[in-house]
Amino acid sequence: MNSPAIRVSGLKKNFGASEIIRGVDLDIQRGERHAIIGPNGAGKSTLFHLISARLPVTAGAIELKGENVVGLKPFEIARRGLSRSFQITNIFHNLSVFENLRCAVLWSLGYRYSFWQRLSGLKDARQRAEAVMEEIGLSRRRDTPAGILSYAEQRALEIGITIASGADVILLDEPTAGMSNTETEEAVAMIRRVTEGKTLVMVEHDMGVVFGLADRISVLVYGQIIATDAPAAIRCNAAVQEAYLGTSLHSGIAS
Amino acid sequence: MNSVIFPRGRLLLWGGGLALAIALPLLFKSGFMVSLLCQMGIMVVFALSYNMLLGQTGLLSFGHAVYYGLGAFITMHTLNLIGKDGSPLLVALLPLVGGLAGMLAGVVLGYVTTKKAGTTFAMISLGIGELVAACALMFPGFFGGEGGVSGNRVIGKESFLGFTWGPQVEMYGLIVLWAFLATVAMFALTQTPLGRMANAVRDNPERAEFVGYDTQRVRYLMLILSGLFAGIAGGLTALNYEIVTAETLNAHTSGVVLLMTFVGGIGFFYGPIIGAILITVMQIVIGGLTHAWLLYFGLFFLFMVLMAPGGIASLIAVQHKLWQAGLLGRMLPHYLATALPTLVLLAGLVGLIEMGYALLAGEGVGAGDTATKVMGMEMQLNAPGPWAAALGVAALGLALTRWIGGRTRVAWNATLSTLHGDKA
Ligand SMILES: Nc1ncnc2c1ncn2[C@@H]1O[C@H](COP(=O)(O)OP(=O)(O)O)[C@@H](O)[C@H]1O
Ligand SMILES: [Mg+2]
Repeated sequence: MNSPAIRVSGLKKNFGASEIIRGVDLDIQRGERHAIIGPNGAGKSTLFHLISARLPVTAGAIELKGENVVGLKPFEIARRGLSRSFQITNIFHNLSVFENLRCAVLWSLGYRYSFWQRLSGLKDARQRAEAVMEEIGLSRRRDTPAGILSYAEQRALEIGITIASGADVILLDEPTAGMSNTETEEAVAMIRRVTEGKTLVMVEHDMGVVFGLADRISVLVYGQIIATDAPAAIRCNAAVQEAYLGTSLHSGIAS
Repeated sequence: MNSVIFPRGRLLLWGGGLALAIALPLLFKSGFMVSLLCQMGIMVVFALSYNMLLGQTGLLSFGHAVYYGLGAFITMHTLNLIGKDGSPLLVALLPLVGGLAGMLAGVVLGYVTTKKAGTTFAMISLGIGELVAACALMFPGFFGGEGGVSGNRVIGKESFLGFTWGPQVEMYGLIVLWAFLATVAMFALTQTPLGRMANAVRDNPERAEFVGYDTQRVRYLMLILSGLFAGIAGGLTALNYEIVTAETLNAHTSGVVLLMTFVGGIGFFYGPIIGAILITVMQIVIGGLTHAWLLYFGLFFLFMVLMAPGGIASLIAVQHKLWQAGLLGRMLPHYLATALPTLVLLAGLVGLIEMGYALLAGEGVGAGDTATKVMGMEMQLNAPGPWAAALGVAALGLALTRWIGGRTRVAWNATLSTLHGDKA
């Protein structure tokens, strides 16, 4: 129980000749809200892809709740209670909002590949999907195909699919990217609500969001983590200041 | 919204469909009609099983006839094995043997084909299809070589509840029974966790993995189940024709079931039913009228792919939506107005095709006779008169179709925007 939710050590990822993740060590404690920040192209999404097995690891180790998960398939990691969202919306476009969410809860409720049970008879799946739909504020779009939702609604659904399974380790990749200020505020409140009591790792560009939400922050620059600390300490970390010189960190912290 | 276990509308539709299927041979008693109906019933099952892959799981297969054909061969061999000691009851159960054979083929072959989705799956399915078709020629002992394997579905001394399956109409009854059961089962499957996850895998295999599903397993299971129903259709075809040839499992049969399913509409459960019925009618009726039927078939397919890629079912669905919004009345006059010049165009084209076919294929094929039969006229194909007439009709039809069709399109777009405006 005292092993960290996620432990990454010596993690490396090459795309051909280019090294994108260059030796990352990172411990995420259970129940922690951890933000990962860093300039564009630093490798934040790639780091998520490695942890969630979307991409194979070049070198290094990843442990999920004390167990090695390198070499597992994405669905095996999902079944161990890690769920992630995507920076680029990744939903079931032709299915309704409700069906999207129900698909996301089926495995965790133990229905597996059943072809002998009627979906409409699975009360727990329906209730869970409806509860998540309520939480992400999409109840009135219940029967709308996901593909024709507005951008903000699709982003909400993206998070809904991620949390629906009830996984206790959640990775969110830029959940508020491209949202207006009010939309961001609502999204953050929602994320806070739905990840209550869970381990949350979040890539985020909006510094207001990061400093408001995170217990700890890691700064990823050019494939390496240059600092991991509490928000206050990150704010006055010299290396971070340097990496972010003249960028949005200052204004973000100021605001 | 729809948590009723059996919505009344659905029960009514299914009951109505079954009643119609039973009533049809009572209305049309001719042997030709009953044979046609038998073929339709078999193809409905086959096309629905194909859509479990294409429409529901997003797998484009070029080798689905393998499961159908193997089901047919195994059924035929089992029938011959039972021989005289059997009973009509056993015969009635034989399609299940075909189904199990198709399923087993799915277990073996699907393990290879479903490793990948997309183009890779399509290519492997094509390869496996060719492989099995080649086997059919290499092992005449099992596949019967050129002549195929034949049998007799009337066995045993007693009848079963009065049925011997000898008369075609009794065979039709058996087909309706199996087709109905298979259709209900295939529909039920769409309403299960596996069925829904197949849709999810179709839409976005990557995300399906991240919600805990092994997409390869989903595809594999769907293929096995699809093989089961294709095998049942194969078993029915073996009993119906009392002969199975290598044609049953070759690429042509795989192509036909793809056409049926696509033309009917892959996005709706009932789409393949419409496609199977329509294409079977076209094959048999138009095939009986003209030697150029494959040409018409190809043109029709081309037309459907270009004009209604969602298939006939999607056309129906749109009309239904218009009707619900009270807008169908606005479009109906336009439909009728477009139908008229389209018929003129069609008449001109048919004339050109028939005459061309007669001229090129030569009198020896008998194509010349058909041309005159279709047009209802005796024609001198070496004189310019008939050609000019047909060309003129076609040109007139084309001009009118474009003119009126353009106006219909404008009305159509206006109606659609009203429809969507109403909804927003
Ligand atoms: N599949 C890939 N093949 C090659 N290069 C990639 C691939 N994915 C990402 N990269 C590169 O890796 C770097 C990090 O990308 P990414 O992890 O998306 O950055 P971030 O999310 O921090 O903005 C970028 O320079 C990107 O071009
Ligand atoms: Mg990124």
